[in-house]
Amino acid sequence: MQDIVNALVLGSIYVLISVGLTLVYGILKILHIAHAGIYTLGAFLGLTLYHLTGNFWIALFISVFLTGIAGIGVYRYFYKKVLEESRIVPLVISIGLFIVMQDLYRLIWGPYRQPFAVDFGMNNIRIGGVVITQHQVMILVITAISLVAVYMIMNHTKLGLAMRACAEDMAIAGTLGVDVEKTISVTFFIGSALAALAGILVGVYENNVYPTMGEVPSYKSFVVIVLGGFGSLYGAVLAGFILAFAETLLVAWKGFVLPRDAIAFLVMITVLMIKPEGLFRRATR
Amino acid sequence: MSLDYILTLITFSNIFAILSLSLNILIGYAGQVSLGHAAFFGIGAYTSAILAAKFGVGYWWTLLASVLISGAVGLLLGLPSLRVKHDFLVLATIGINFVVVSIFKYIDFFGGPYGIVGIPMAKIFGKDLSTPGFSLYTTIWLVAVILFDMYLNKVYVRYGFEAVKENEKAAESIGVSVPLFKIYAFTISGALAGLAGNLWTYQMGMVFPDDFSFGVSVSILTMLVLGGMGTTSGPILGAYTLTFLPEALRFIQDYRMLLYGLIIVLVMMYQPSGLLGKGGILRKLFKR
Amino acid sequence: MRKLGFLLLFVAVFGFSAIKVGLFVPLTGIGADDGLSALHGAQLAVEYINSHGGVLGDKLQLLYYDDQTDPKQAVTLAYKMVQRDRVVAVVSGSYSGPTRAAASIYQRLRTPMIAAYAVHPDITKAGDYIFRVGTLATVQGRAGAHLAVEKLGAKKIALLIMDNDFGVSLAKAFKSEAEKLGAEIVYEAKFSVGEKDFRTILNELKKKNPDVIYATGYYFNASKIVTQAKELGIYQTIIGQEGYDSPLFVQLSKNHAANGTVITTDLDRDSEKPVVRWFIKEYEKKYGRPADMVAASTFDAIMILKKAIEKAGKADRSAIKKALISVSGEDFVTGFKKFTSFREAVREVVCQVILNDSFHRLCKIDDPNITTPSK
Repeated sequence: MQDIVNALVLGSIYVLISVGLTLVYGILKILHIAHAGIYTLGAFLGLTLYHLTGNFWIALFISVFLTGIAGIGVYRYFYKKVLEESRIVPLVISIGLFIVMQDLYRLIWGPYRQPFAVDFGMNNIRIGGVVITQHQVMILVITAISLVAVYMIMNHTKLGLAMRACAEDMAIAGTLGVDVEKTISVTFFIGSALAALAGILVGVYENNVYPTMGEVPSYKSFVVIVLGGFGSLYGAVLAGFILAFAETLLVAWKGFVLPRDAIAFLVMITVLMIKPEGLFRRATR
Repeated sequence: MSLDYILTLITFSNIFAILSLSLNILIGYAGQVSLGHAAFFGIGAYTSAILAAKFGVGYWWTLLASVLISGAVGLLLGLPSLRVKHDFLVLATIGINFVVVSIFKYIDFFGGPYGIVGIPMAKIFGKDLSTPGFSLYTTIWLVAVILFDMYLNKVYVRYGFEAVKENEKAAESIGVSVPLFKIYAFTISGALAGLAGNLWTYQMGMVFPDDFSFGVSVSILTMLVLGGMGTTSGPILGAYTLTFLPEALRFIQDYRMLLYGLIIVLVMMYQPSGLLGKGGILRKLFKR
Repeated sequence: MRKLGFLLLFVAVFGFSAIKVGLFVPLTGIGADDGLSALHGAQLAVEYINSHGGVLGDKLQLLYYDDQTDPKQAVTLAYKMVQRDRVVAVVSGSYSGPTRAAASIYQRLRTPMIAAYAVHPDITKAGDYIFRVGTLATVQGRAGAHLAVEKLGAKKIALLIMDNDFGVSLAKAFKSEAEKLGAEIVYEAKFSVGEKDFRTILNELKKKNPDVIYATGYYFNASKIVTQAKELGIYQTIIGQEGYDSPLFVQLSKNHAANGTVITTDLDRDSEKPVVRWFIKEYEKKYGRPADMVAASTFDAIMILKKAIEKAGKADRSAIKKALISVSGEDFVTGFKKFTSFREAVREVVCQVILNDSFHRLCKIDDPNITTPSK
């Protein structure tokens, strides 16, 4: 039972990071490794603003907003220029950006891990032998709210329609009167804002924020979107939870025969061999 | 006497030049993007290390074994590429890299997290190779790989590769067997990475699992793309540049990594085909 | 006054000959935090030495380079420092991989190297120029077993093993010693260095109801282990080792979960020795954070070098090497006493307990049967 709670929380974190990545991939088809750098930026801004304002929610909102803007910057100043090039070019730029970002954070905030202690004033919830901490509750609630918000935007707004249209075919969307440029920017904003949210929640949950915290998510989140079928939102959400459950249960069942990341990749490779297009292939391409 | 400093850098550059040339066969020629090349490198290195340190096998046999085993694993791991394509393949190769490193780390036969130490110096024609000797030796291998690469470039295999890269369906229609050529590319690329692995093992005298992590795959890819994919000179330039750059940037101390990353980003933005690729500044310079 | 100091320093560096020692540390990338602590420890030692009369009438000069935890760079730096910078000896403030790789080169170039805190057992086997001040994982694991079985009276022990060289060596030594002392290992689990969620294995562990838990790991693993253990209602004593020895261990743990944890380590924060008091005070004043084990070990590595140079009577590499083997004394920050014939440190191991969110001395393990490294 405890394992189910743990897997749900872990899955929520995977999903929050991966949904943003999926949105970006869906529209530009870029392997956006620097997304993990954005995630770290969110965590650091959140921490700094929390120290400045003393209010977690204010810090959260400002940090998520600023990080979203930074995401737009990454698109406008780095990716936009090379969209016509071979797909490997933006990939290498993204890798370079990630190196730059991590080192920049080290220069600004120092190399040490910093505690991010926030007390929401709730007690641990105990149901039978199962414990849910206040931070776990927060993660579950905020993830749920964010996912509903993304769902509403995607399916019930003009913006969402434009985003889906661009993901299908940017040129056609353009001729149909969709402001492609604006749509991509908004996509980066939402994706990066979600990454910032994930960064802050993980920072509080783990009680630590540090320059290289994006290292694992930088590749791990790709496992999620691959399983989800690259660019499919529902796929990414389901895959995030499936991966979390698979990891948690394998660890509980067999102990760490291999490290968690290797398990994740083994799951991914197995799935790819059986279904080369991921678990949840998009209906149209 | 600080010549050894430069010679060591040359040795590392040579090893990575061989690696990026081998990756070039896969990506630049056959169009199969891999981000797990360090896995083949590692398999080659561990093969030599185990044979030399645990079984006392002589140098030439370890070299042969590294090339053969890495080539064979390349062949084996090339099989998924028949099913898995594009970005899915990129991720699958990253996965292979992680799984291989975890196996090195978790299975005692491979030395576990301690790695394998105590590999004797390479004895070639009855002589121990010192720092200058070994850097010369790796240079000879680099030249050999360059010649092999030019040969590949010339013979029909290249046409097969190119066809697979441009359009698989079209390649099939003119009678090129796509699966066969993909497997060729993976095997040759793996075998050459195995050679680099063997050189690494004897240069370091030891191997550790982390020497072959995902980050190393990323570096190899960066070298290749920065220098210019699909060319022979590009990967070599990329390997030399990115090996010497961190040393050359030492004078700026704390900002070294920042500038290193920035240089990669800027080169890719303004030289998207690489410095020696189509339209690259260095290529124009040489052409004139 | 300060200006005068700078002037003196300037004259000292350029006016007189200075004795150059090298240091390689990870200052960027994944190990940058430990690297910075190591660098600060070394710089503080050099300052201490130079403000206490220098070495053989000369100033000590520290040349440091970033190795990015990359064995390739550590190897190239070895040639650079020895052949270009002409340092007389080198301290490694880096991890096992780079340190082990560089050790072979220093041995080949006949330049003494002292590893500050790298744990790989084969580092000193590179040759007679290679020394280590850090505690060998085998000694530390053994000490941990004594602490668990003899001092805490544990009969059933659970073991959490981190999957790198450090964790594996510690666990191996702990297990064999604990079993020799009559305790039983009732649960064993491995985890990777980057692991964040220990709840699954802690849940399994809880079912076995051990008396104590011996958990290998670094402070950032440890803070999660203690936090999640308390969450799940596991109140047994958790025994750690020098990997926990960082002020961050306490800070990163939630709800004061670090309290009650017992560790074996090198740095005795309650020590009355003047050099320890000076070190702890100056470090915090200068770098704005309390000192950790990594800084203390690197500090000592430089202090040991200084003693060896004085003993040798000249800044000559082979003379320093010969002198190093017989260095001993009391004025070290950690419990370092001397080197064994195979160049590993003999030291007393300090057991500390965390109370009220700070480290306090619990006991000392001085028994040579435990603290003398075996070959």
